Amino acid sequence: MKIFAKIQSLDRRYIYIIVALSIIIPLLIPFNSRIDTTKPTEDVYQMIDSFAGKPNKAILMNFSHNASTLAELFPMEVAVLRHCFERDVKVFTLCFMPDTAPLVDYAINTAKEDFPNIKAGVNYCNFGYKPYSLFLPILLGMGENIAEAVEIDSEGRKLENLPIIEGIKNYDDLNLVIDFSASSSVFSWVTYARAKFGANVAAGVTAVMAADNYPYLQSGQLIGMLAGIKGAAEYEKLVDVFATQQREFSKEIIKEEIVPITGDHPIYGDKIPYKFKKARIGMNAQTVAHLMIIIFILLGNIGYFANRKKGGKK
Amino acid sequence: MTFEMISNTVAALFTLAIFSFLYKENPVYRFAEHLLVGVSMGYALPLVYKNAFIPFVYRPIFLEHKFILIIPALMGILYIFRFSKNLSWLSRYPIAFGMGIVGMGVPMSMNSSVLVQMRTAMLPIDSLNGVIVFIGTVTILMYFFFSKAHKGVYGKITNIGIWYMMVGFGASFGYTVMARISLLIGRIQFLLGDWLGLIK
Repeated sequence: MKIFAKIQSLDRRYIYIIVALSIIIPLLIPFNSRIDTTKPTEDVYQMIDSFAGKPNKAILMNFSHNASTLAELFPMEVAVLRHCFERDVKVFTLCFMPDTAPLVDYAINTAKEDFPNIKAGVNYCNFGYKPYSLFLPILLGMGENIAEAVEIDSEGRKLENLPIIEGIKNYDDLNLVIDFSASSSVFSWVTYARAKFGANVAAGVTAVMAADNYPYLQSGQLIGMLAGIKGAAEYEKLVDVFATQQREFSKEIIKEEIVPITGDHPIYGDKIPYKFKKARIGMNAQTVAHLMIIIFILLGNIGYFANRKKGGKK
Repeated sequence: MTFEMISNTVAALFTLAIFSFLYKENPVYRFAEHLLVGVSMGYALPLVYKNAFIPFVYRPIFLEHKFILIIPALMGILYIFRFSKNLSWLSRYPIAFGMGIVGMGVPMSMNSSVLVQMRTAMLPIDSLNGVIVFIGTVTILMYFFFSKAHKGVYGKITNIGIWYMMVGFGASFGYTVMARISLLIGRIQFLLGDWLGLIK
């Protein structure tokens, strides 16, 4: 019983070291774990995929976070951009926070490196940073005319002169808005773009925000959701299984197929680039860290009850 | 040494400086914390100047002579009086105007957060999910009805509502743990991968 008493008074810094090691070791020695995709993630993937090769359809990615939540949101942004580039889906990006502007460029450049034919203004367009005071005017204005509401892209070019805007006028064409958010900003898109213009809205959110978004998902106001690093890992897998191989989504295939992050891939050969499997490697560490936390909770409780039985602290 | 290596090294050293708080509070941690606040503000100011002040104030008023915009610009300037003890009341005008704009969203918020949610909660109870949602909705609503004492049968029913909420809080907390661990994973991925190049 002495050991339980010791556990109760263990210096918290030992726990920090164990948690750190449970993350460092799986990152250094990655292993192939099974990532099962969930319906909210599949729904986002399928909707984007339904726009493949259609010049009069596009998606809008709104970045509503700063660098502090990059670990969860960046892999999903790269995965969605990669999906669009693979399947020839027009994509627009936008942000309303000043320190998010370089993160948008970072995500686009990371995904674009492997696609030499993808061009700004043709396949994608970064609207850039717009002041937050313009959030509502732009959000509502895009329901009428995107080129008039946004006016210029991040490089100062008039939107109406860009080839990408041909055939794209308002939310009828820009028919999916994905808000990558670490806050409740997705509700604004649901409240205004969805309710007023019937735009399809999806969320890519940090795990903290996921529980808040489920009611909107259940009521159909969000067409899908990527939740935390798990959502990002699922999307990475979907892109690897279908988009990179130019295949249509199939429930049967995704159930059966395991994409080995340490082995062969039909397109990338012996190894998928690290940037395209970052969330899946992260999920390995996440799994081990969760196991450690569960063990700590169990040990802590056993120690507590053992102490109490001995007449210790109540 | 390339620029990327230098910038990664600076970022890595500051990450370690912040992590040093886990051992104990120290001057290195405080230095990194204060620098972050300062850099964020310093970065945001010129960006807002370039992306907000120039295109929406300077250019339309001084170059395109749209003088009507002087009114909202002056209204915005009233915010600065927040720092004056005697004239801080002036800052309430732009705040009041902002609140009016927020009010514009009330009917649409009612629709998306109340009416649509109510409609989807009133589906036929023809599945196990439906039964669970029905019991949860009714018992939680009863729990928040405080005009009746939570005693006897009524108290037992509201207890079910409490259990439902506990499950909800548990799920939320589980997600929070996942999020915090993800942030640590992101930083360690940066240290081991981007900085030291140990993750391939």
